[in-house]
Amino acid sequence: MTQSTSTNMAEIYRFLAQSMRYPSPDWMQADYFSALNTFLVELGWDAEAQTIRQAISEGTDWLESIQVEHTRLFVNAVPFVVAPPYGSIYLSADGMLYGPSADKAKAFYREQGFDLAGEADIPDHLTFELEFLALLAEEGKGQEEELFLQQHFRPWFPKFQARVLQEGRHPFYGVLVNLIDFFTREEM
Amino acid sequence: MALNLTRRKFLQTASLAAATAAMSGCFANRATASTPFVKKPFTAPGSFADTKTAVGGVCEMCFWRCQLVGKVRDGKLVKLEGNPKSIDNGASICARGNAGVKLLYDPDRLKFPMKNVGKRGAPQWKRITWDEALDECAAKLKGVVDKYGPHGIAMFPHGSSATYPMGFFEKVVGTPNVSEASFFQCRGIRDMAYVATLDTPPDENVDMANAKAIMLLGGHFGENVHVSHVKRYLKGLENGAKLIVVDPRFSASAAKAHIWVKIKPGTDTAFLLAIMNHLIKTGKYNKAYVEANGVGFDKFKAGISHATLAWAAKTCDVPVKQIKEVAELLAANSPNVSIHPGRHVSWYGNDFQRERSLACLTGLLGAIGVKGGFVKGKGPKVGKAGGWPKINEEHAEEHALHRMAKKHPFSPPGTPTDMIREAAITGKPYAIKGFVAWGQNPIQTIPDQEMTIKMLQQMDFVMVCDIMPTDITMYADILLPESSYLERYDMIKPGTQWDLSGKQEQYISARMPLVSVTAADHERKDSVWITNEIAKRMGLGKHIPVQTMEEKTNKALAGANLSIEQLVKEDGIHVQPGADPYGSVLKVNFFSQEVADAGFPAIPTYIPVPETPKGYARLVYGRSPVHTFNRSQNNAWLANEMPENPVWLNDESAKKMGLKDGDRIELVNQDGVKSQTSSVVKVTPGIRKDTVYMAHGYGTKNPAMTVAVGKGIDDQSLITKLAVDPETGAHGMRNNFVKFVKNGKVLSIPA
Repeated sequence: MTQSTSTNMAEIYRFLAQSMRYPSPDWMQADYFSALNTFLVELGWDAEAQTIRQAISEGTDWLESIQVEHTRLFVNAVPFVVAPPYGSIYLSADGMLYGPSADKAKAFYREQGFDLAGEADIPDHLTFELEFLALLAEEGKGQEEELFLQQHFRPWFPKFQARVLQEGRHPFYGVLVNLIDFFTREEM
Repeated sequence: MALNLTRRKFLQTASLAAATAAMSGCFANRATASTPFVKKPFTAPGSFADTKTAVGGVCEMCFWRCQLVGKVRDGKLVKLEGNPKSIDNGASICARGNAGVKLLYDPDRLKFPMKNVGKRGAPQWKRITWDEALDECAAKLKGVVDKYGPHGIAMFPHGSSATYPMGFFEKVVGTPNVSEASFFQCRGIRDMAYVATLDTPPDENVDMANAKAIMLLGGHFGENVHVSHVKRYLKGLENGAKLIVVDPRFSASAAKAHIWVKIKPGTDTAFLLAIMNHLIKTGKYNKAYVEANGVGFDKFKAGISHATLAWAAKTCDVPVKQIKEVAELLAANSPNVSIHPGRHVSWYGNDFQRERSLACLTGLLGAIGVKGGFVKGKGPKVGKAGGWPKINEEHAEEHALHRMAKKHPFSPPGTPTDMIREAAITGKPYAIKGFVAWGQNPIQTIPDQEMTIKMLQQMDFVMVCDIMPTDITMYADILLPESSYLERYDMIKPGTQWDLSGKQEQYISARMPLVSVTAADHERKDSVWITNEIAKRMGLGKHIPVQTMEEKTNKALAGANLSIEQLVKEDGIHVQPGADPYGSVLKVNFFSQEVADAGFPAIPTYIPVPETPKGYARLVYGRSPVHTFNRSQNNAWLANEMPENPVWLNDESAKKMGLKDGDRIELVNQDGVKSQTSSVVKVTPGIRKDTVYMAHGYGTKNPAMTVAVGKGIDDQSLITKLAVDPETGAHGMRNNFVKFVKNGKVLSIPA
């Protein structure tokens, strides 16, 4: 990968990470959707772009519906948190946070000269892993990026993605997890 | 989707530049998108991987509060152990204590304040900011106070973190309508009955470690585990104490007993009266103690003279010989006898009288202040902090429902649960329109769930603060996430060495965080912060007694010339020389004028409970060693140990009913209420035919508890017939009867 595509990839990882954060009005605005729309259209994902445009133009409170969906999928919900966005939920036998795979992700961060800012942060949160990939891309560490994807990210992400796709009620997160999948999966 | 466009191809196209250019400018506030990482040069970890021992933990997987240390590796709690410096639990903790790690990292834990944009009972959650949540809580609670008065708010607290907000609502806001499950559905009756008899609440202060005989009434230690308590019990047995266990079921304690009294449920008071009458008639009671310290003994003696062995044998379905054997055994070992006061005693709605009987029997044997008897350890003095000023307490007292109705004069602190619920539903004598649950799950603690839900539905506002999505959280309008006991300062735990006859020592420990509460993926807060923020927003900020939990802890420790800093230096526990606990003398109100004046039987009296209807058995519940009610149900390790609660059924009955051990069944009660979940049958000769038994706390209904939901049967859902103890207003929960249901077919239980 050239330096410029690698910088672009960092930008994409960051954009994806931000998209998975709580949809608060301080970032989820027209500018954001316009960028997402451009992105999807340039990718040739016209149908997805259309679905999202439609979802946010319908209904009186489009933001609240995404917030409720985010809470239900990733935070707390009835009947249950659909898809907790942490690797070890999917990789450890008891399905708990901060399982052994999370420790391994943290060790990888450290080997690359990075550490989480918060002492008690759970290392394998989806947004952390995407942000870390952005850092690797930014530093032009293409090999390490591939290694992290292969050893740490891909082993759980498809399971998470499947739950979001199966249980999602709002199109936004379905499109987003497919986007993340597209940019992280190994290419034949 | 353009199937031919791969990531690699896309990244090489010119369109990439256009797409990413839009991205970099799209976040109005880039601060929210800042990296969660810091740069740090890599250093290879050593072989010990930097594991630290964090001191100052105090367990809250149950309420016994063992002292802990946490093994923390790189910010992650990897193991909990008993604090080796502890003179209470020592290095031991129980299964639940160990499993605290899994509570900390439970993905279902509450993480952010949430607003219910769906319905109560069928919530749709939306994460909101603390400011939004606190503003709404304060505005709604203030709205209720302004419209209906302070007494328009009801609060259902539980646990040490709820003490501070409870003080705020009682003393500053001024509501009397506080119902603690630990009183009204547990031990309040015991405390009030012992106060009326011995002028002191008993806790579990019997010196079992040094007893020659121990009597448990329903106590099932081994299944019910509190570490230092069990240590006392086992030490006593090890030293040769005779054990008497009165229980309709062959419990873990019954299995160790010298005498197992397979009593008919509900008749315990008759059993105790006959023992006392026998001891008096045969002159085998402690005459010296009774003469010196007994009040109204002659009236008592006359008043229980009807309670012959034959009468009790018939009433209790226990042989005369066995009652006599128990009485003689107690007399032979008097005064070094532990008559255990029990803990969860809200059984039948006649419980004040039974607890009075236990206290009287203790006095009759002179088993007070002596080795093996009723003895309180002499703990250290610590300061008090965080008490709210009594701004509106008078208003609260004037509006206490039981005082207004002149009922339940021996109510423990707070207001009897059912009076709150009735007032809320009927609006009489006044409306109750604001509801706060803090650490309590009233759906599972209080009998008659339908009524509880009715109460909740008519509220103007429901606020719940908890750490897990328990059943009650489904009814919240605003749900607040609290930090767990492993992440906060909270309370002072003082005490003495566990064996009262050992080297006399006292200890002071304080709950201190073992791991940081701050993390990027949640915003949990402690109860001092939450309460203060609500108080400020209700315009009551000027009454705030402490700013932080840490300040509260330090102020309390200062009363013992200690500080958090000093306590950390002393490995989390300060130990100092103690005082001999033996030799105390208590007056014994065999006849209580106070109880008589209130219009209740002044001498312990047996009041029969409803008989078991034909075809049914009485539903009795108890503890599991790996769970603390509903609180621990979602814990992955504990759920794995005991995923459901088998229903004990007598083997002969099972045979007639065609049920085999392990059969999947449901239960239906006398009111036709069916359990919403199922469990398995445990077929055993170790239970009476008129009784079925299960561990409490199973069958949670909130699907947000992903491990626990629907596992086992919720006994509380079957407790629809209410019994209220007339003296105290506390609930009796063992007057409900069930039949089995297998494959949709209802099976009667043969007599």
